[in-house]
Amino acid sequence: MIEKEIIDKIKKKFEVEGSVQRERRVIVKIAPDKLVELCEFIKDLGFEHLSSLSVTDWPKRGIYELTYHAWSYKDKILITIKTGINRDKPEIDSVYAVWGESAQIHEREMHELFGVEYKGNPDLSPLFLEEWHEKPPFRKDFDWREYVRKNFYDKENERERVYFEEV
Amino acid sequence: MELEAIGKNEYELFFGPAHPGSGNFSVKLKIDGERIVSARADPGYLHRGFEKLMEYRLPIQNAVLSDRICILEALAWNLIHAEAVEELMGIEVPERAKYIRVIMAELSRIQSHLIWYGVLSIGTGFDTGFKLAFGYRDFILDLFELITGGRVYPAGYICPGGVRRDLPESAKERIPKVLDKIEKMIDFVRAENPANIARLKGVGVLKLDDAIRLGATGPVIRASGLKTDVRKDEPYEVYDRFDFEIPVRKEGDAYARYQICIEEMEQSAKIIRQALKDLPDGDFIDERFSKLKLNMKIPEGEVYVRNEVARGEAGIYMVSDGGTKPYRVKIRGPSFLHLIPVLEFLLKDAQIADVPAIYWSLNGCPADMDR
Repeated sequence: MIEKEIIDKIKKKFEVEGSVQRERRVIVKIAPDKLVELCEFIKDLGFEHLSSLSVTDWPKRGIYELTYHAWSYKDKILITIKTGINRDKPEIDSVYAVWGESAQIHEREMHELFGVEYKGNPDLSPLFLEEWHEKPPFRKDFDWREYVRKNFYDKENERERVYFEEV
Repeated sequence: MELEAIGKNEYELFFGPAHPGSGNFSVKLKIDGERIVSARADPGYLHRGFEKLMEYRLPIQNAVLSDRICILEALAWNLIHAEAVEELMGIEVPERAKYIRVIMAELSRIQSHLIWYGVLSIGTGFDTGFKLAFGYRDFILDLFELITGGRVYPAGYICPGGVRRDLPESAKERIPKVLDKIEKMIDFVRAENPANIARLKGVGVLKLDDAIRLGATGPVIRASGLKTDVRKDEPYEVYDRFDFEIPVRKEGDAYARYQICIEEMEQSAKIIRQALKDLPDGDFIDERFSKLKLNMKIPEGEVYVRNEVARGEAGIYMVSDGGTKPYRVKIRGPSFLHLIPVLEFLLKDAQIADVPAIYWSLNGCPADMDR
């Protein structure tokens, strides 16, 4: 089973928690300071295509869970690398050097929507949002309903009053 | 288009968002004479924040929302959303539903590739191609209306658990008739057109190493010489039961991408015919979903689902904390990579007259880029 072999190869070099989720899906958890090293290692194993990169906000645990999904064209397996960082001071090394521009653009998006600082990423300028001064909008503690009420509705307007009533 | 002088021969030129056909998207080009010095994509005109909106809604509502991720292939995004929810809940979809899903997804692919052919034609000055493609696309939209009730937006026809309504009896006869018409049209557009070759050949060459580094997928990377398709690499639904080819080209230019577009339509038609022939009887939706329940819990867990949509690789990463709504949804749209890093790379050092050919040969959709 190729999924097991990949986990064993990674475990020989790194201190990780690894599991096979199902056929063609491998999940690996690692400490944030070893992340880039692991990414370089798995890219050499054949995971050339960074399919996606994502952040999950867990306010109760106080962490941002970063996930990196990489696909191997050779073995036809998707690996998910997970790591956790402090959500109040979200900083992590960029994987731009590993996967190139495809990583750069995903990181730029996550920087905008979650406020994660990717150290080493050459361009983290705003992507979708224009003149945004609030906290990053995809954080769990950003209440978009409140934001919309404040910015787009008028309490005095008879037709829009309904949006301010408690449900 | 807006012109602003920077230096003596250098200009900044805006391609979009008001350019007819660029979609809700723009590229800022820095131009020296006729040559493009640098290009910078400017997305965000269609950002609706689906990932956040889905956190506040039940899967049954999100199925309707997922139509809008990409306007031009709503059914394909319906399918991938439904698959993510099903995998989290551990639901096996009835056989009949799987076949109907494949038929709809492939019809959606043909329809989307017709748009691709149409806008590429009009972008390079071949007006007839545009009219032809959009005219024939309407036959498929008629089928969508018959089967789902909506011509462009199926309103969550492919929902978690199966499909919302059974395939009507008349659809079984009408689908092959429409495919016959479309195959005739493909034969027509296949004919080598000297003007087309002159405008597309050797333009916007993407080498394989660059394609992988820039995150290209789907038809774009296949035109650069990598034989990869999620339907074959990681078969979902019942794709492993059908016999079809993956068209591949080595050149990596706009003409190669155009040829892939034409050939993929033929392959999709082949899949639909096989699926219609083998269509089994039985339920079309899982019984747990056939009656709407609002308090259905999604078990704790996470999934990453990949699908091959017309534009390339689509992905949904869904996390659940055990509630009725998904905790986090991350949507990976193929155009996000194609229209930002790939387009910026290809436009650098290109000629200004080649911009439309490069832009439309990538088959981008601003809607699934911005989400």
